[in-house]
Amino acid sequence: MNIDLFATTIALLTFFGISAIMALSLNLEYGVAGIPNFGQALFVSIGAYTAGWTYTRLLPLLAGEAVIDPCGSTLGQALQLRSTIMKTMPTVGLTNFVITLLIAALIGGLVGYLASYPALRLKQEWYLGLVLLVGSEIVRIVVRGYEPIICGNNGLSAIAQPFHWLRDSTLSSLLFAGLVLTVAGLVYLYCERLVRSPYGRLLKAVRENDAVATSLGKDVARIRGQIMFIGSALAGVAGVFFVVNSGYASANDYVVALTLDVWVMIVLGGLGNNRGALLGALLITILDRLTAITAIRMNMLGFQWEFNYVRYILFGVILLLMLRYRPQGLLPEPTQTTRAHEMLGAEGVAK
Amino acid sequence: MLELQNVSKHFGNLRAVDGVSLRVPQGQIIGLIGPNGSGKSTLLSLMAGTVQPSGGKILFDGHDITRQTADQIFQRGLVRSFQDPSLFFRMTALDNALLPVNAQRGERPTHAPWHHLWRQQEQTLASRAGGVLDQVQLGKQTNTLAANLSGGQMKLLELGRSLMGAPKLLLLDEPTAGVAPALAYTIFEQIEHLRATQGITFLIIEHRLEILFDFVDSLYVMHLGKVIAQGKPDAIAANAQVREVYFGE
Repeated sequence: MNIDLFATTIALLTFFGISAIMALSLNLEYGVAGIPNFGQALFVSIGAYTAGWTYTRLLPLLAGEAVIDPCGSTLGQALQLRSTIMKTMPTVGLTNFVITLLIAALIGGLVGYLASYPALRLKQEWYLGLVLLVGSEIVRIVVRGYEPIICGNNGLSAIAQPFHWLRDSTLSSLLFAGLVLTVAGLVYLYCERLVRSPYGRLLKAVRENDAVATSLGKDVARIRGQIMFIGSALAGVAGVFFVVNSGYASANDYVVALTLDVWVMIVLGGLGNNRGALLGALLITILDRLTAITAIRMNMLGFQWEFNYVRYILFGVILLLMLRYRPQGLLPEPTQTTRAHEMLGAEGVAK
Repeated sequence: MLELQNVSKHFGNLRAVDGVSLRVPQGQIIGLIGPNGSGKSTLLSLMAGTVQPSGGKILFDGHDITRQTADQIFQRGLVRSFQDPSLFFRMTALDNALLPVNAQRGERPTHAPWHHLWRQQEQTLASRAGGVLDQVQLGKQTNTLAANLSGGQMKLLELGRSLMGAPKLLLLDEPTAGVAPALAYTIFEQIEHLRATQGITFLIIEHRLEILFDFVDSLYVMHLGKVIAQGKPDAIAANAQVREVYFGE
């Protein structure tokens, strides 16, 4: 089997961009604000489910067509319709995609805020971690068994990327990779600006000691709710790119393993450091792709065992080694992060 | 300025604070002493709103703050420090000092990414924080992580951080605990200076009576959750009951 190096690189960059958004989102929540979100897969899946809804309901309406049930006996007809619209009506396709991103961010943010708020008020943020871990699985199982969202266990295909109308599939993939990387870059800049602002200082204070932050006049529950809104909105955006990249929405993609992958990225890269989140996302994406390609090659060569699962062993080993030998990650959190230090200038002596 | 009327706190059968009434007049430095376990720190927590009282009333600046939350009480200008340095250890001295300031524009998530919306205020606050850190002798440590400061410097940073919250009344829980004697005196001189120059009122728990007695206007003595004596340092030092429970004489 020959590997198309160009196509592989584009695929790798696209996966990296999506992983980077997920990692930056979790880094903001846990690395900076100390909220252990073990339900990252839930918020990513919200993006996927939103795309499933907009591609089957909103897209036909934007194109001036009637909505067709995407799951029952009209499955093929509905699939044909959305595929045709994406191929022949670029403005409609792009508009639908942008609206999908906005709705996914809003719903993701709201679910993050609502899910977190009661648990955060218990003053034990680890309860929230457990609530989200369990909630993530419950939602996945419900979606898998409830047809109207993404056709239950069958899932939804033909969730095409917004440059599908270009006849050249290499060019459309390249543009999509460019779009994903641009959004990931903007998310990085946004997170970096947050961390370097007084709001970033506030988030770190809540992470360091919530009781003292409260005694200094800060409304900790509100701050945690806000950051869960922001982080979950970003995860929802990543979910849209994730599903559009694969072209297929299935509840089975949003298992706990996805959440753990993102955790490995931020622990490996360095908690509290946005550049660390990017580095972790890059390294894990490369490992992920390498194991996937190796698995395919081994299958082609007739090996009987599934090499794909080696990635789980690898990620587990990485997590354990990092926690044991370098808990601060490859790129530790910088000492001075807020702009106030630059503003004060040379009065302080840097250490 | 601060008045406690018959305030109690029970933990099951334990009466940690049992019907305490006291007054802290504006502009004074009041000491609160007593043996370990007498209820002093619990009383401070009740005043600051970090623990809710079982009974009684707490008035601050004419407002009933008995059932208010810690952040609401802080907003009124009643600021506390903790017995063990309660800093944000993985943040610099400067960031620690800047945190208590109310109404920071850049603390709003909608403003935070656009630094032109808060740059000017942050610049002003950073200069003010630099001045306060200078004042508490930490001018050279602004960029040092709080975790890397000495015990005495941590106490000074906690004092500086409290000052950045624009307090009217500062509740200090053992401000010189674990601090070398020379620095302990410096801390109290800073307190006296702040009272004189900024009119801040202080209520201070302290075990180093030899220093405390030199600076306070008057003292309350607690034992087993109750106030057993109140008066000027000389009178307290001569009080037989105080000498019995506190000095074991």
